[in-house]
Amino acid sequence: MNTCGEIRESIGAWLDGELSGAGADAVRLHLETCLVCGEERRQLENLNRAMKDVFESEDFRLDAEPFWHGLRQRIAAKRPWHADLAEWAGPFIRAPSFAWAVPAVIVLLIGALYFGSILPGWGVLAPRNNFATVESIDAYGRNVALLREHESKTTVIWLYQNPDNENEGAGETSDKGPAF
Amino acid sequence: MKPAIKVLLFNFFLWSAALSLDAADKSFQSVQITIKTVAAGKQDREFDARLAPLEKQLKALNYRSYRLLKEETQTARWQGNANFEIPGGRVLTVRPQEVTNNQLSLRVQLKQGDKPQLETTVRMNNGGNFILGGPPHEGGVLVLSISATAR
Amino acid sequence: MVEASDWELVQKCQAGDMSAFEELVSRYQQKVFMVILGLLRNREDALEVAQETFFRAYRKIKSFQGGSSFYTWLYRIAVNIAIDAQRRQKRNPLDFRESMDGVMEERNEFAKDPFADVHDKELRVKLVQSINDLTPEHRAVIVLRTLEGLSYKDIGALLGCSEGTVMSRLHYARKKLQEKLRAFL
Repeated sequence: MNTCGEIRESIGAWLDGELSGAGADAVRLHLETCLVCGEERRQLENLNRAMKDVFESEDFRLDAEPFWHGLRQRIAAKRPWHADLAEWAGPFIRAPSFAWAVPAVIVLLIGALYFGSILPGWGVLAPRNNFATVESIDAYGRNVALLREHESKTTVIWLYQNPDNENEGAGETSDKGPAF
Repeated sequence: MKPAIKVLLFNFFLWSAALSLDAADKSFQSVQITIKTVAAGKQDREFDARLAPLEKQLKALNYRSYRLLKEETQTARWQGNANFEIPGGRVLTVRPQEVTNNQLSLRVQLKQGDKPQLETTVRMNNGGNFILGGPPHEGGVLVLSISATAR
Repeated sequence: MVEASDWELVQKCQAGDMSAFEELVSRYQQKVFMVILGLLRNREDALEVAQETFFRAYRKIKSFQGGSSFYTWLYRIAVNIAIDAQRRQKRNPLDFRESMDGVMEERNEFAKDPFADVHDKELRVKLVQSINDLTPEHRAVIVLRTLEGLSYKDIGALLGCSEGTVMSRLHYARKKLQEKLRAFL
């Protein structure tokens, strides 16, 4: 047995003809006997009628001739390129779903990584300095100094003369110490 | 065109672009190596205008004059040597070894005649440079800027 | 002369016949405008959106394959544009709304049944205000159901929601209106 509350929730759909079979019968039978729900039905019918009156009033009338005239002019007018672009790109821009955003972000990230590989220094993850890493070095007995110059972010390898062994290296390396 | 198809096309385009960039990374065929040979001295204050891109790096060294003696660019294949003649009967040999994560590995050897003076392996940014200095030259020293770009 | 069907007009239009499109506009402009105005509440905006609806329909008509009725297809365009416009709409709505002052002034006018007349006008004003106070989702179902008598299934298809959602939104919207207008119903 349906309660008044359950029936009242269905009266609107019943009036709209959206209930069928047992559901429609239950509402109809209940309304035949229940005055309170009958009042609910009356109010809903009045509401529907009033809404229809409002929507069908003069306020909702369209002046057909100027409307068509304006539309025809708009169709005939040449649209700027950005309007076409905006229309085409609309679904991407407005799609309120992460489904679009996630692949786009991934792709942009990958793109940024590889962009850096073809245009040095442009990738988002490309190192921001110019330092080089010296992995091995052999100066064949000469003195060598390594400098990471922080202002210009440059690695400097400097050969210089061994002060204890001047004769051996004479002419091959320069100062008695590194130039920095 | 339906929006769903547009989005698929859009994603396809982006993935294609990304993959083509990926392919570009793997298809580095060679390395362009440029050596700028600079004479640095402690006499007169002078700075060669052609060295403007290196000004900051050179002025970190303790010299007063900087003059570009020679600039030479060669293209070397992977594991192939590029030999550069350096004033004073020297030869600088640069051998590109590999590129990973946009970092180039170079084997660099400096010789004077038959005598090796320096042999080093350096890993640097693709397109970056480092400085090798110290060999004496006309009362001053030679400073070499070694830059390399994989292409 | 037998009136051409929508599909026949669409096909002519796809072949470049502007008069066929004019006929389609003439058939649906009023209905489309009413639905949009019901959704947007601002006559100026509604006119703009109605024009945009037919404009887009014209531009996309070649892609229309007749999978649904032209009417449903057109309404889908209209509702989508109107919902977008609703999100952007910042202007104070309803330039067609009659002011309560106007209603009160008419109390003194002679009429056959002045009290009934005023009652109707008051109801109308209150109703419009109450519809305006609904959320866009609730207003959409009310307008599509009341104005067009669309089935819950069709409304769901237009708004991209289930029949159950349409039923629940309609129930909620009517309940809200009923609460505000109980004295007039």
